[in-house]
Amino acid sequence: MQWAIALSAFLASAVEFVEAFTIVLVVGVTVNWRSALLGALAAVATLALLVATVGVALVQWVPLDVLRLVIGILLLLFGLKWLKNAIMRYAGLKALHDEEAIYEQTLAELRTRGEVKASSSRFDLFGFLLSFKSVLLEGLEVAFIVITFGVSTATDAASRSSGIASAAFGALLAGLLVILVGALVRVPLKNVPENTLKFVVGIMLTTFGTFWAGEGFGVEWPFSDAFLFILAAIYLGAAFVLIAWLKRVKKQQRDRALTSQAVPTSKQTQEVAP
Amino acid sequence: MKIIKAVYNFIVGDMVILIGVTLAMVILALINTVSTLAPLRGFSGPFLVIAVLASLVATLSREAFSSHGN
Repeated sequence: MQWAIALSAFLASAVEFVEAFTIVLVVGVTVNWRSALLGALAAVATLALLVATVGVALVQWVPLDVLRLVIGILLLLFGLKWLKNAIMRYAGLKALHDEEAIYEQTLAELRTRGEVKASSSRFDLFGFLLSFKSVLLEGLEVAFIVITFGVSTATDAASRSSGIASAAFGALLAGLLVILVGALVRVPLKNVPENTLKFVVGIMLTTFGTFWAGEGFGVEWPFSDAFLFILAAIYLGAAFVLIAWLKRVKKQQRDRALTSQAVPTSKQTQEVAP
Repeated sequence: MKIIKAVYNFIVGDMVILIGVTLAMVILALINTVSTLAPLRGFSGPFLVIAVLASLVATLSREAFSSHGN
């Protein structure tokens, strides 16, 4: 078992599954649980098929050097996207993901469509498709991470298969945990620290992406694999500096906006005054 | 076109990051293939890390200053 891979996949998957669970919960509460769970299961089966086929194809036919370079670049792009969004959320430039708001909004949409019929246990195609689509779309990112992490950590086909298995294990564990907790509480999982998870995963993806893309170009990192920790520390430090800087920029912008609002008000007061 | 846009949004969704990383990769490829640039090969690693950080700073700056009016 490759624990770093399993942990990365677990964290990334937990975030995505929490987001998907919110929609499944709405469908379960408003339409019925049968359609919601069937939709979710069908999506999970589609994703598993995708990981198995694409993963095995990559393991069998693509040379490791090419794979590391391509996957390193993809992970870098993916990681920077996650990291950027997480930094923006911490700095207040972007709203935090609000599962409760998404839940209420989807519930209202379903009510407007007249889809609220939780008392019926009959299979409902709309509920099935809504649940299927949300799990599939959120799960695609998980499948991508499972495949890329799995295949690029290893030096031969056997350990590449073990990498995919480790990543899939992490994702499966996250999925089961979210479903278990969700089934127990039956409310949107708003207490899950989504942004912190996205931030950690963003750091991990960027770190691994840099490392493998570099290796693809023949870079010999100092201290070999241990350099991953140094890279993670560099990106973590840079992210904290960027968050502090963006918070300051936002504060300055807010202060400037308040000042510019206050100035016309005083002018208006002078104009009105006799 | 729709498919390309969907793939772009799925993988990166940010032009600054995409250009930054692509540029870094092109420069690294040149350093690795052009013999006159061979003395720079030792700096490939630090260059890649700096390029990644520069892309991140550039995209965040754009977001911070474009949201000025909000």
